[in-house]
Amino acid sequence: MRRVYTGMATLLAGLIAACTAVKAETIRFGGILPLTGPGALIGTAEMRGVQFAVDQANAKGGVRGNQIEVQFEDNQAKPDQSILSFNKLTDLQHVSVIFTGYSGPTLAMAPLATRKKVLLVNAGAQADGLAKASPYLINTLPTIGGEIEVISRWAVGVAGRDDYLKSFAEAGGTIVAQEASQFGQTDFRPALLKIADAKPDVMLVVITAGLLQMAQEYKQLDLKFTVAGTTFFADPSTIADPSSTGFVHTQLRIDAPPDLAAQFKAKYDTDMEFFAKQYYNAAQIILATLDKVLADNKPVTGETMHDALFEIRKFQGLIPLEFKTNTASVPMDINEMRDGKDVLLKEIKLQ
Amino acid sequence: MLALQLLVTGLVTGCALGVVAISFSLVYATTKIFHVAHAGIYTMGGYLAWSLMAWHMPLLLAFLVPVVACTVLGALMQSQLYARLARRRATHLVVLIASLGTLAVIQNIIAAVYTPNILQFPLDWSSRMVAFGPVRLNWTQLLTIVVSVAAYAGTMWFAHRTILGKRIRAVASNPTLADITRLQPQTVYIYVIAIASALVSLPGILVPLDLGLQPYNGVTPLLTATIAMIAGGVGSITGAFVLSVAIAVLQNLSLLVMPGEWSIGVTFFVFVIFMLFRPTGLFAAAR
Repeated sequence: MRRVYTGMATLLAGLIAACTAVKAETIRFGGILPLTGPGALIGTAEMRGVQFAVDQANAKGGVRGNQIEVQFEDNQAKPDQSILSFNKLTDLQHVSVIFTGYSGPTLAMAPLATRKKVLLVNAGAQADGLAKASPYLINTLPTIGGEIEVISRWAVGVAGRDDYLKSFAEAGGTIVAQEASQFGQTDFRPALLKIADAKPDVMLVVITAGLLQMAQEYKQLDLKFTVAGTTFFADPSTIADPSSTGFVHTQLRIDAPPDLAAQFKAKYDTDMEFFAKQYYNAAQIILATLDKVLADNKPVTGETMHDALFEIRKFQGLIPLEFKTNTASVPMDINEMRDGKDVLLKEIKLQ
Repeated sequence: MLALQLLVTGLVTGCALGVVAISFSLVYATTKIFHVAHAGIYTMGGYLAWSLMAWHMPLLLAFLVPVVACTVLGALMQSQLYARLARRRATHLVVLIASLGTLAVIQNIIAAVYTPNILQFPLDWSSRMVAFGPVRLNWTQLLTIVVSVAAYAGTMWFAHRTILGKRIRAVASNPTLADITRLQPQTVYIYVIAIASALVSLPGILVPLDLGLQPYNGVTPLLTATIAMIAGGVGSITGAFVLSVAIAVLQNLSLLVMPGEWSIGVTFFVFVIFMLFRPTGLFAAAR
């Protein structure tokens, strides 16, 4: 009889082990980022940030025993290509979460994310439209409008364009001139001349490429007004150039601990720069959310991930971050470029 | 004051565009090939110069070697691509697609080798300023004006005063007759694209010296230059140059009365209207 019990116990233990083995599976997420073309440099940094976080988690045994895999698709920063990639990842791979970047592609995918209930995670794009594009789109950094509110208050005490007009006016400023620029533009002289002619005290600049050229042309034309900008100003070559001395900008505060940065450098042979940190942080948020979904014994879907993220709401990754809305509140600094360095002027606490 | 500075800035841009336009005009008027890959040669000239300067090559050599390299590349494109297609009686559309493909290959190789980032030339003197009363220009801008005007004058002299120039004009005028009279059009086409490539490498180096290098920055100047060539009269060197300067100056001066985002649209709308009344171009009779 005892032998029968022992046999049954062994069988039961085997069954439990087998069930556990079945349960511990690979959970697949997606990433739609520009890996070729003009956006490739940033897109690759973003991909590395996500992959680095996932590799770390997998090396520690995964999330509750489940290995994580991220399938990346190259959208070349094009909205139409992003739609194709989105459909491929959701229909064929059945992913519940997709990491994305760049405003145009993200805005294009947002309606699909709502319809298919897939969680889109943006940690790099800042167009104002992203804030309300989809309940299934979360932004781990503020929109341009959010940063402009901060710099406007600074700009009047010294601020996308529409938010500047609104925020700067609300803070007591007057807009005397405005000029548009195109992505990739490097000849800013005509626009600078026209703005200079209006004799402003402050010029707010929101460009994602060509900042160094703009700074040099500003210096060459011997202009005197203060130049203010957002986190996009944190370009090392611009900061190092003497022509940018006096430029003021908001800066999202995100730092990697030295050992983490060293591991990243050892793995990819490149520094862990802003976008890599941002996406590493975003991946940590998603992994923490996944942990809660699995702990609650819920299926991993876009819907359960979305709900769990807002239940957790506050995250402490590389930066403290809170989701009161789809767009996270994060701590921010106001910095001034001075003699080749980016110097802290003022700390803005988590709002 | 603002108008004067905008005018001069427009002149600088226009002069550089003018050289792109006369080089493209030479190719198109002679070979009838819509040589889009010309934009790739424009871009390549700048990147080669940047590499040579980064390797501390003497400045003059760093300017001259890319010009020679672009000349050779242009000649190879004609002899190894366009001439082969012509022998197989490829249509204009097929040739255009081949040219577009070549452009894409050049751009992607450049982006792969140099990254898609904006690169700057490691030169201090290029951004030093010279003031002429209220107008401020840097040394690169001054050099651009001088080199561009010299390139225009040189091209005019070459086209009208040399045997090869006259031979090119004869082939452009009537390729069939030129073939019968043993002017060897296919050989002339190689010379033409080689010369045009050397010419386009000049603004290809000078413009990025001032504004930085990007792998995809050759297409916009080429499109504007094409419009200038058509508006100036296909085949007219003077027309292509003058209209390029006019377009650039108009674009700059239009900022006095409208926001910058409208300037390109309005400028080209003016040219569309102009073309309705003079479809052969402003200098069509003055070849």
